Amino acid sequence: MNGMLMYLCAQLKRMMKTLPRQAVVNLLMCLCVGVLAAVFIQESILKQDDQKYRIGVVGDMSDSYLGFGINAIQSMDDSRFMVELVTMTDEEAREAFEKGELYAIVQIPEGVMESIESGANDRPISYIASEGQKGLGAMVMGQIVDVASVLVTRSQSAIFGMQAIMLEQGMEETFWDATNALNFLLIKLVLNRSRFYDVEVLGIANGLSVEGYYFCSILLFLLLLSGLNNSFLVTHKKADMGRFMKARGVGAAGQVAGEYLAYLCLMVLCLTVMFIPLSWCLERELLLIPEWEGMGAEPLRGFWAALLPVTAMFAALQFLLYELVTCVVSGLLLQFVCGIGMGYLSGFFYPAAFFPDAIKRIGSILPTGVALQYVDSSVAEEGALTGGFGVLLYLAVFLALSVLVRKCRIQRG
Amino acid sequence: MEMELAGIRKSYKKKKVLTDISLSVGSGSCVGILGGNGSGKSTLLSILAGVQKADGGTFHYQGEDLMRNSARIPAVIGYVPQGNPLIEELNAWDNLRMWYDRKTLQRELQQGALAMLGIGDFLKTPVRRMSGGMKKRLSIGCAVVAKPRILLLDEPSAALDLVCKENIYRYLERYKAEGGIVLLATHDMQELELCERCYIIKEGVLEAYQYDGDLHHLAGKLR
Repeated sequence: MNGMLMYLCAQLKRMMKTLPRQAVVNLLMCLCVGVLAAVFIQESILKQDDQKYRIGVVGDMSDSYLGFGINAIQSMDDSRFMVELVTMTDEEAREAFEKGELYAIVQIPEGVMESIESGANDRPISYIASEGQKGLGAMVMGQIVDVASVLVTRSQSAIFGMQAIMLEQGMEETFWDATNALNFLLIKLVLNRSRFYDVEVLGIANGLSVEGYYFCSILLFLLLLSGLNNSFLVTHKKADMGRFMKARGVGAAGQVAGEYLAYLCLMVLCLTVMFIPLSWCLERELLLIPEWEGMGAEPLRGFWAALLPVTAMFAALQFLLYELVTCVVSGLLLQFVCGIGMGYLSGFFYPAAFFPDAIKRIGSILPTGVALQYVDSSVAEEGALTGGFGVLLYLAVFLALSVLVRKCRIQRG
Repeated sequence: MEMELAGIRKSYKKKKVLTDISLSVGSGSCVGILGGNGSGKSTLLSILAGVQKADGGTFHYQGEDLMRNSARIPAVIGYVPQGNPLIEELNAWDNLRMWYDRKTLQRELQQGALAMLGIGDFLKTPVRRMSGGMKKRLSIGCAVVAKPRILLLDEPSAALDLVCKENIYRYLERYKAEGGIVLLATHDMQELELCERCYIIKEGVLEAYQYDGDLHHLAGKLR
């Protein structure tokens, strides 16, 4: 025990010798990633707000009803925030579509209104989309077209029914006025349809906002990357040192404990350094996390404490990876590949909810996935017990494996 | 005899490295272990230092079975591996502080083993800036912290200059004179002059050998 403590002290001294350099590099890395992340998040939110499906409308628009309908959609309907209808010629539309400026083309055939008015419905409106648009957008568009067709046929039923009753009752004088009035009523009902529902956006993952989610995932990714910067403490391991320590009564467990605790201290210091610019940005509202709105940098203290188990687990993972390979370059490469790979699968760069089920499952049980769930739930103020248990379990497994590898290395010589 | 090894054997998977190592050494003597590369010299020393476990055999010091009571090994044995077991970023003082308390360290630097090894001259030098000789002397200094009665040295003066070698040999002479036992695994003929007895490890067994300065004869024996 005494030997282990002396070894830990020596490792801490070693760490302190290069701490200023490490702190500066970490701070710079944090600033670079922070600025990039802020720009990325802001841009994606702005894009999300501004994003509209631009649809070209071509064909016969001579009918006043049709023109009125398109104008109504453009100026009054809720869909105007999502869909932009642009009337253009067939050639212009095809050219814009090929350049990717249009999401789709709606082609209105000649005499379509007459066909609808007569109830023949034999002039179909074509919706042209590209092969690659088989995603959610195309599905939504398909549903919109379907709903529009139902609305048109139901409206036809109502108008034709009313017209038949009026003719039967000899009300020819008010026939067209009543038809127009019913048409407007139907249009009004369609335009007011959004009063029937209320959409509540719960966030992209674990109930977090986009900013909250990426704040957590980027912070975790930075912690993973700090393993590259802090590698000097755990690389350059010499078998002779391990053998000497063992002969002096400090076994594999004692050696790993001494080295790991020093490495953990360095990681915690790195984490603290990362929190300095974060706190500054939150205080000045340069970084807005909706979950912490109006709270300034206050929640960061609790969040720092909540991050400690994850920092310990990541430190143990990095320690194990460096323990597995003796060559510095291989160690750095392994760290980088594991960090990027596991981070990607667990949704550090793109929410895991959008991945196929199998990848989602794998991502969620990886150390990075468990860490992200735990950190997300701490930001969302949910009980983080399950995630916390997973983090501690991984921590124990990584440390046990590190001791095992060290033991083998000492034995092998 | 103070130190007795009997029937020590060790295999790596199917390869038998040590088949039957038996040896008795009295206090105040130095024994040289010779052998070709991979003959098992380092393995033998690391077994005696408690770093590796033997597949069988016994190791007694003053009647105490150190293989069964391995917790006693750090107090009895000082082990210096082939490479240097030092933390490169720290200086000599910090490396020594891992093993010595401040008071003992200062005393040893003034008049003890560390003074003899001349470590005081480069106390503040970081290990990475030290010469091979400085590193070796510091490694020995770290190993003899508990004033062990047995010192195991794995090629102690390999690639060292004459001044360093002389410094180390002077210390080992004094160590012997104080009743210590030195076990040297070596290729260096100069080191053999320190030894009262020499053994060659051949096919896992120790063979007694008297070095008479005939290098060809020795090389023939090692083949």
